[in-house]
Amino acid sequence: MFALYKKEVKSYFLSPFAYVVSALFLMVFSLFFINGISTMNSNVLKFSFSNIFYNNFFYFIFMIPLLTMRTFAEERKSHTETLWLSAPISLAKVVLAKYFAVVTVYLMMLLLTLFFPLVAYWHGSVVLTTMLCGYLGFFLWGMVCIAVGVMISALTDNPIIAAVLGEGAMILIIFLDNFTKSALIQSMPPVARVFEWFSTQRRFGVFSQGLFSLADLVFFLSLSAVVLSWTIIIIEKRRWSRG
Amino acid sequence: MVEIKNLTKYYGSHPAVLDISFTVADHEVLGFLGPNGAGKSTTMNMITGCLPSTSGTVLVDGYDITKNPMEVKRRIGYLPELPPVYPEMRVRDYLNFAAGLKQVPRRERKKQVEDAMERLRITDVQKRLIGNLSKGYRQRVGFAQALLGSPKFLILDEPTVGLDPTQVIEVRHLIQDLARDHTIIFSTHILAEVTAVCERVVIINKGQIRAVDTIANIEASVQGSLKLRLKVEGEITKVTETIRNTAGVQEIDEVEYDSVGVNSFTVKVESDDVRKPLMAALLAADCMVLEITTEKPSLEEAFVKLTSPTRKQTRDEVFEELGKKLEAEREAEETEKSAAESEAPEPESAPEAEPGAPEKPLPGKKKHKGGKR
Repeated sequence: MFALYKKEVKSYFLSPFAYVVSALFLMVFSLFFINGISTMNSNVLKFSFSNIFYNNFFYFIFMIPLLTMRTFAEERKSHTETLWLSAPISLAKVVLAKYFAVVTVYLMMLLLTLFFPLVAYWHGSVVLTTMLCGYLGFFLWGMVCIAVGVMISALTDNPIIAAVLGEGAMILIIFLDNFTKSALIQSMPPVARVFEWFSTQRRFGVFSQGLFSLADLVFFLSLSAVVLSWTIIIIEKRRWSRG
Repeated sequence: MVEIKNLTKYYGSHPAVLDISFTVADHEVLGFLGPNGAGKSTTMNMITGCLPSTSGTVLVDGYDITKNPMEVKRRIGYLPELPPVYPEMRVRDYLNFAAGLKQVPRRERKKQVEDAMERLRITDVQKRLIGNLSKGYRQRVGFAQALLGSPKFLILDEPTVGLDPTQVIEVRHLIQDLARDHTIIFSTHILAEVTAVCERVVIINKGQIRAVDTIANIEASVQGSLKLRLKVEGEITKVTETIRNTAGVQEIDEVEYDSVGVNSFTVKVESDDVRKPLMAALLAADCMVLEITTEKPSLEEAFVKLTSPTRKQTRDEVFEELGKKLEAEREAEETEKSAAESEAPEPESAPEAEPGAPEKPLPGKKKHKGGKR
């Protein structure tokens, strides 16, 4: 499993792909950072990272399908999946290895953004709890999105389609809250409640306020786990019906 | 030992492999023969566990692929039809990765990878990107991957496709070399390959087994149709007539244009004794026999016989059938018409489609078949 994980992480850096995506991500992040500082009100001498995270996520979430689109679709297209299908490794391990490889790349990008709190610390002070919880929330939210992206990649043999479908799914994830708040859904309380179960923005909000909520941590992790198990089922199912 | 038991695979309602069973003994090289789309790759995918079977199972060394896939996969090295290589990786890195995937212990990894590269002669390209390699090299990298983890069984799906003739011979030697300590099942539709390296063959067509036997036995089973090949100088119709009228000649299988006035005839005869009267008759008819050879039924013939359900129709037969059909259609049409407008004086003439397509002696198409009707 480790061999596959290592290969997957490496493959991101063998092409300029990971560099381009991280560069774009960092650019967006720094723009928000600068913007956040320049619009700071003189009587509110507080500057919150959660704001940056919030805004960033709206952009970053659309980069996640770009990271995940190739995971399974590409292998199916180039017929390389026979390599791990015929190797003594279980499908669950394959899915996990690929998933954690994307998570690792994502984590690397997040670590790069630590530059900004460092700069902020240099010239002022940083509320450590808010920042750490903000990072944790951002990371957990990303994990769910990556799991969804990986699952969508397993559905098709075309990475472009995987990316497009992934973007759709990301929109759904991020706007589920706003959608739930609409009058139509609110008029049907049972439906609204079901939607609320899956709302992620609210849970991220908890983290971004500098609070650590075990329930929300479990929510993010278990949601990722469920989506990954669907991925396993999807691949298994496809093996049965493959032509 | 690999035991394949009643293996069946349906894609939807279409059976790709239908109830096939055979066993492969240890240290055997088994050729898996069949035309394209016969179900070779599907079977191999099922043996290696890449594809689940609809019913039936595969036992490898007593381990069931459905119940104990890990043990089975540990014992099998698989080279699929398209080598599963990542174009963005370097050859050596790729093989290291494959070794890791096959759970080769870390300290043995280096040696195994180097051995495999040595065997496939890819040591000199180890630092190159797989995407930049030619198809032949890519195939060899895929082959090297199958050898990692020193599996007892090697399953090779068309290992020589896309290789140049020297490489094909190299691969054949490699298979013979590997047969010393591996059991090999390899599929192909190139018959020369099978004759060169296998003891036993399985012939499969449309998902069903046609024969499982040694090459010698299969060849012997189609014996009985002795064929003579004659190169005769003379007018084609006269020669054909003379050959047909000789006693002991069953039929003329094929007539092939050779050069001006010279044609090669493949003649099915009852026994070797027909040679003499045939020669005499031809000479008497003032035709020069330039060459005469006996054609032995080969594996090739057995293959054709076993994989084509009905006798091949010759072109004349096809035309004849077509002509008859058209004629029947026209007749039906005419009777209909005459029944409908019996008072109409002008009968429809001018047939648009002539019975039996006109055979023009095209310069590019010299090969034509003639059958005795």
